[in-house]
Amino acid sequence: MLADFQQALADLTSLPEWCLAVRADASVLHSRYTLTEREARRLHTIACDAGMSCACTVYRMNRLAPLAMNVRLTLRALGPTAKHVLSDYWRDHPRGHAHFFLESDRFCKWLRERLDVGEQMSSEVRSLLDRESSAIRAAVRASCTESD
Amino acid sequence: MRKHRPRVGLLYNPTTPQLLDYAPSLVEHLSVMPDRLWFDFGTEPMRGRRFHRLHEAIDRVKRDTVGRMLAGHGLGLSLPSAMPLDDAMVAAVADVSRDLGNFAWYSEHLNLFITPKGGVPNAQAGLGLPVIYDEETFSIMAPKLRRLRDALSCRLLLENGSFFTPVPDLDLTEPEFLNRLHRQGLSGVLLDLHNLLVNARNGGADPIAYLESLDLDAVEEVHIAGGDDAEGFYMDSHSTLTPDYVWELAHAYLPRCRNLRAITFEYQESYFEELGLPALAAELERMHRLADVCELVPEPVDAR
Repeated sequence: MLADFQQALADLTSLPEWCLAVRADASVLHSRYTLTEREARRLHTIACDAGMSCACTVYRMNRLAPLAMNVRLTLRALGPTAKHVLSDYWRDHPRGHAHFFLESDRFCKWLRERLDVGEQMSSEVRSLLDRESSAIRAAVRASCTESD
Repeated sequence: MRKHRPRVGLLYNPTTPQLLDYAPSLVEHLSVMPDRLWFDFGTEPMRGRRFHRLHEAIDRVKRDTVGRMLAGHGLGLSLPSAMPLDDAMVAAVADVSRDLGNFAWYSEHLNLFITPKGGVPNAQAGLGLPVIYDEETFSIMAPKLRRLRDALSCRLLLENGSFFTPVPDLDLTEPEFLNRLHRQGLSGVLLDLHNLLVNARNGGADPIAYLESLDLDAVEEVHIAGGDDAEGFYMDSHSTLTPDYVWELAHAYLPRCRNLRAITFEYQESYFEELGLPALAAELERMHRLADVCELVPEPVDAR
């Protein structure tokens, strides 16, 4: 069905590991989606297309944009682990929020939960996350421009 | 034959006012993205409202459009998505159109931006995904286009997208799909010539074959832009001036577009300083020379 095809196409782009799994064995598509054989063939061809790596990169660049603007210092303090942290975040939240401050706020809350359950990160990450989270919450409030 | 000169203009961004101050007479048309004039809170409405407009930005656009033609250009409705039309967003587009003095026409991308199981009404897929051109997609889009046209009370155009991964084994080509929408009076075409180059460079359709199969009477606006190479692919980054090949396509085909109303240059605001005001003004002057070439054309066919 078309809705599943469209969702599968978005998932291939947002989840590189899933794309590689589909490349290796197209039959895994049927475990997640209700697809006609023709839709499954199309998805497998797309997954194997050389352009998929570029589509995955553009997806990550677009998802990174709000965080690079609003959580820049925290990401910098994460250092080399930032790449893995972001991949985990995008796996947990594969669809971005159109409101950049809400998207950034969601990331801050997600990272805060990881810190609260004991994930090891530097004290600098904690303090910068506090500072940037606070600024983002203020920006969310300021973006409410309409009265009741 | 009659005089029918397309207007020359820009896709509005936060740096546009500087360019308008620098070269006011060169810009006859502005295309404005409503999505950039509000905050969309999605499923978490604030003060009872999902959309909160950027009133200062809207006022600025309103001042800048005085004496110029104005069109709307949207990203967020994702009309090919197998899900209901986002009526709240349609109402928000209509509000912005009204605030700005009503769009002469409104365009959307022929891409998939929202996925059916995304969870929230504005959950973004992260990039514009390609569309299956077949009867099912047509039957999803047709009623949405009718409702959108009724809500906005203006002409609708659909823009051809750029893709890295074409969908194989389609029932219809993209031009055939656009031609059918046009024949049935549902939408015209916003022809993005740079997207044709992007697709060709990345293994997609040949631009000439594409243009030869497109009903050029459907074309009412044209986008031109520039891009750059990354990771072995050519990107629609709007980072440069229009490349020569796009100008060649424009000069070869735009005089044949009898209903063409505007030629619009797109640049990304983060490249504004790099491009520079003199080069942007020169680009607009070049667009005027192109518009002059398009001036004498046969009588336009009826705009449905």
